[in-house]
Amino acid sequence: MNISNNAAQPVHIDRVRKTFGEFVAVRELSLDIAAGEFVTFLGPSGCGKSTTLKMLSGLLPQDSGEIRFGNKRIDMLPANKRNIGLVFQNYALFPHMSVAENIAFGLRMRGWNRASKEKRVEELLQLVRLEGLGGRKPEQLSGGQQQRVAVARALAFNPDLVLLDEPLSNLDAKLREQVRLDLRDIQRRANQTTIFVTHDQVEALVMSDRIVLMNRGGVEQVGTPYELYATPATEFGARFVGANNLLAGKLDVESGTPQARLGPEMVLPISTHALDVSKSGIDIWYCVRPEHVAVRPGKDGAIFVGRVLDKIYQGTTVLVDLDVQGLGTIRAERPALEVGNVTVGADVGVNIERSHAVARLS
Amino acid sequence: MSAPRWRLAPGLIFGRAALAIYLVIMVLWLTFPVVLVLLASFQGTLEVSWPAPVSFDAYKTIPPSYWEAFWFTIRAALLATGIALLVAIPAAWAMVRGRLAGRRVMSNLVLIPDVVPQLILGIALLTVFIPLRLSNSFAGVMLALVALSLSTGLRFTEALLEGLPDEYEQAAQSLGADKLTAFRLVVLPLIAPGVAIAALFIFMQNLITFELLFFISGPSATPIAIRLFSDIIDRGIVPYAVAMAGILVYVAIAFYTLVAVSLGPKYMAGSVMSRKG
Repeated sequence: MNISNNAAQPVHIDRVRKTFGEFVAVRELSLDIAAGEFVTFLGPSGCGKSTTLKMLSGLLPQDSGEIRFGNKRIDMLPANKRNIGLVFQNYALFPHMSVAENIAFGLRMRGWNRASKEKRVEELLQLVRLEGLGGRKPEQLSGGQQQRVAVARALAFNPDLVLLDEPLSNLDAKLREQVRLDLRDIQRRANQTTIFVTHDQVEALVMSDRIVLMNRGGVEQVGTPYELYATPATEFGARFVGANNLLAGKLDVESGTPQARLGPEMVLPISTHALDVSKSGIDIWYCVRPEHVAVRPGKDGAIFVGRVLDKIYQGTTVLVDLDVQGLGTIRAERPALEVGNVTVGADVGVNIERSHAVARLS
Repeated sequence: MSAPRWRLAPGLIFGRAALAIYLVIMVLWLTFPVVLVLLASFQGTLEVSWPAPVSFDAYKTIPPSYWEAFWFTIRAALLATGIALLVAIPAAWAMVRGRLAGRRVMSNLVLIPDVVPQLILGIALLTVFIPLRLSNSFAGVMLALVALSLSTGLRFTEALLEGLPDEYEQAAQSLGADKLTAFRLVVLPLIAPGVAIAALFIFMQNLITFELLFFISGPSATPIAIRLFSDIIDRGIVPYAVAMAGILVYVAIAFYTLVAVSLGPKYMAGSVMSRKG
């Protein structure tokens, strides 16, 4: 079965801009996407990710800038001439058509004959694992199945680009986890250049080749899921992707190794990744993820001491909120077994894994 | 979940009974005139007696001029309904999806025929129709009905399209359909049930429109409502007039049943006018 999109093309977005009156929805967005790549636009609502998606699909004209598939400029074309597969948040399956008719709609518009349409529909039903359900109406399917039909419909005509607009937000939590992996798998097998829009950082981390983190119409950071998580480029990134302890301080390189000075008595080691260490004394954010904060009942070997304010049980892990003199509240996330004997109100020793502590200019 | 029996307090039982009686009285009040006309049509008089022999005598005496007026009305009503919907659907689409400037003003303006007393509208149309030789003609009656139907048709189709999410059309376009194709293959089938209900209401309205046609009609163009009116004024309640009234009730029920059966019961109740995705 040949489901792979051999005609996959790179996508170039060049200084695309959109304003609504005074409000700048998207400012000068530029991005190159490789053929077959899975890119996620991640950001809070109003960050411009959906507006960008609408401009790509042709449902909203951009103010300026260019969009190209390979060498072909497409931003002047109406939506129906762009050859883009679009999956809507609520799927927008045509309720009066069967599953097969829905999937074949794009083929019908392209004048495929009956036999090749039927063959292609079968291929796609197989791809999204809905064999035998072609004759059903969308309303006879579950939410997850409807979602897969929407994906099949968008893939059927070998589009140059597939756009997914928060397609998992209508599914319940359990199903969402499964469909995430399914979608990723389908995209890989189809070798389909894909842009996925979401506000859910876990979805973005799990599914993407690259993530474009957006905020207030601009791009905060572009990188692999690992890069975004391990080395957030901005304060916004550190706060938005995953939980983080963010502590204001100053860079201190006087002792030879870079450190973060967070208070008169409080100097913490930092990794120097992606930071200009020549400027001692500049304002920085010291970020460390809760899972890299270790908590021990004894004080031996600890960097500092904290008082346990609260323990929040989460199943496999426990969140431990600590009050540290001179630092304020910081949070640790530890395996449940490890902190069984840590009690609320007790003083505990706290350690931070240096290689995971990141400093960012504020 | 059913509540245990012992918790049904007397107050609750009384409340339910009162509600049931209230609804029965309301339904009786609404259907009483229709039932009375039907009973009367089998007895040839409005002074219905019970029990009484059922006879079709009144129906048999309906004169040819009545049948002529009846078919005249059916033709005009059907044609006006069809024309009005053909005009209203694209117009509503343009108004809703085109996001035209002044759209609110426009969609309120087209409601005027609905809120102005029909008699006045009829007089206005007469002043236009006389120089055009349209008064006392089938075309005149039909056009007058179109004016009225258009207003109702627009109101219906505008609401239908407003209720239909943009996404269906956008999805069709993203799949390669131009606007017209998206409208034909996606929008139209989705609003079809609502349009059928609109057609039902407009046709019924046309069937019994009286005031609007009072001045426009004449000896060579007589809708059945006008015919009944003038006969009853001249001769009192004659048996065949009651029989014709009965026939109009049958037409209404038949048309309603046709729409209800072809759509299924869920579209007929309340405001469910378009399919949900």
